[in-house]
Amino acid sequence: MSLFHMNNVKKTFSHGEIEEEILKGIHVTLPEGKITALTGASGSGKSTLLTIAAGLQTASDGHISFQKEDLTAMRNEKLRQIRAKQFGFIFQFAHLVPFLTVEEQLALMLETAESPLSRQEKSKEIREVLELVDMWNRKDAYPASLSGGEKQRVAVARAIIHNPKILFADEPTASLDSKRSEDVMKLIQKLSKERNITVLMVTHDMDMLNFVDHVIEMLDGKIVKK
Amino acid sequence: MKMAWKEIKRNKLRYTILGSIVFLISLLTFIISGLANGLSQDNASLIKNLPNGTFYMTEDADETYNFSTIPETQQKEILDEQPDATFFSIQMGNFIDEADKQRSVAYVTATDDTYFPDVKEGEVILDTSMEEEGIAIGDEITNEQWNQTLTVAGFVEHEKYSHSPAAFISQADFQELFHTDSMQIGFITEGAINDTAAFTDLQPFSNSDFLNTIPSYNAEQMSLNMIVIFLLVISGMLFAIFFYMINVQKLGIYGILKAIGVKTGRLFQMMWAQMLFISIISLVFSILISQLFQWLAPSGMPFHLTLQTTLLLSIIFVVIGFIGATLSGIQIKRVEPMQAIQQGEM
Ligand SMILES: Nc1ncnc2c1ncn2[C@@H]1O[C@H](COP(=O)(O)OP(=O)(O)OP(=O)(O)O)[C@@H](O)[C@H]1O
Ligand SMILES: [Mg+2]
Repeated sequence: MSLFHMNNVKKTFSHGEIEEEILKGIHVTLPEGKITALTGASGSGKSTLLTIAAGLQTASDGHISFQKEDLTAMRNEKLRQIRAKQFGFIFQFAHLVPFLTVEEQLALMLETAESPLSRQEKSKEIREVLELVDMWNRKDAYPASLSGGEKQRVAVARAIIHNPKILFADEPTASLDSKRSEDVMKLIQKLSKERNITVLMVTHDMDMLNFVDHVIEMLDGKIVKK
Repeated sequence: MKMAWKEIKRNKLRYTILGSIVFLISLLTFIISGLANGLSQDNASLIKNLPNGTFYMTEDADETYNFSTIPETQQKEILDEQPDATFFSIQMGNFIDEADKQRSVAYVTATDDTYFPDVKEGEVILDTSMEEEGIAIGDEITNEQWNQTLTVAGFVEHEKYSHSPAAFISQADFQELFHTDSMQIGFITEGAINDTAAFTDLQPFSNSDFLNTIPSYNAEQMSLNMIVIFLLVISGMLFAIFFYMINVQKLGIYGILKAIGVKTGRLFQMMWAQMLFISIISLVFSILISQLFQWLAPSGMPFHLTLQTTLLLSIIFVVIGFIGATLSGIQIKRVEPMQAIQQGEM
């Protein structure tokens, strides 16, 4: 069995009377420690697929197995623990907590993931990761005073500080210029290698595909190419 | 990590406004409650100063002390069984002071001096408010209907009845002035009663029941207490509304925190900590200021606010705030991480 596997996953949204099937039976296996990119036209269901995979919304049908456990059959509390400890997220927007400094964002993530590290080990880890994303010199800054690219780098740092098994990223570079996009992609690539993190990433940007190991293309709720 | 505190620090204005409102409402509540208490003191301190016990009036008096008459023979019979019993009478009236000014008072006389000042024949002891009005020891007071004068022998603090200062006179003078040799009211302290049979034919009243027979007392206290209750309810609603508004603005943050795996309980704790912090600071300020007000209030103003009452009201405030905040926090429970993620940049 692989680390992460989606089997015949379907998602239906109902707008009043009308039911619309957005995902029409998705089969995906994520190769461990590798970066898998998810591309496709706008509205094809990429974000829906990613958030279902990440346990942020439920599937209408099908199964998702993670470390031999079925996410679709899991109680909310168990799912929360998996999100907190095993998954990392990067969204299209950084979504940092506005009243916490850069350093505190990471401390909160470690605390949420119930990291067993000691106090000193935690601050050492935070420093290491912030240096990795080149944000250590801004550790006391609040999100409001950061540029878009800086925020996104902090978001990447927050997504991996607790050493997740899987990193889910939805267009992490969409709000950045091409230079910054490349920096973030290189960073994700480096982290994935160094820390053996499995990545599932949605992207529109064909230039970004140079940094990934596999590409899945979606069309109209189905996977058309692997 | 102290997220609650960090958020307050980053949003000082928002929380200062909330705190000021809690402060103003609680201060208003304390002051109204102080006035309610003050008025009740002003109305009936003569009775309120008595220890817990039982009051007796004749049954046919229909709970009106003026109509109650306990004749001397009956007093003697009771005193034989219950030597600790006291009998007293109250008569609203007036006198003319040395400056020819008419003064309303409540004349009071009693069979012994356990609870009331000891007055000699021909003398009168007045509530201190009369001293503030310019009457001095040694002044002679009289009345058109009297053919005698009384000499002011002293003053006592906080002895009022039906908003009038008490004027204590001897039993002999009372009989002379009001043409009666019976007493209206019997009183005995809680511990002293050993034979209720001695009080047959008399209707017993507890302290608070007796207070409620004073005509204005009941109505006055009820309306003031209603105001206090309304203020408490309003402050509860304000708490709920304010936290609701603050929470609505924070739904995005809550959603993201939930997405990364923060427990819903932790978010509630954060809100409760903020609510407690804000309300306790605001309450400390309004307790201080209301106590200062008590101290500075003009002496003619009936204001009486014990620290005990203030603390009790404060606890009620905190409980109501807690309920209000928790009710508004139901949204926190409802918020889905997906909503926040789809909302875009905050
Ligand atoms: N909560 C929802 N309720 C109803 N319809 C939804 C909901 N979420 C997504 N959809 C619909 O599902 C379809 C796929 O949306 P999704 O966001 O997955 O597309 P996408 O591939 O990520 O597109 P984009 O590249 O523009 O981000 C869209 O038609 C969208 O309107
Ligand atoms: Mg999308």
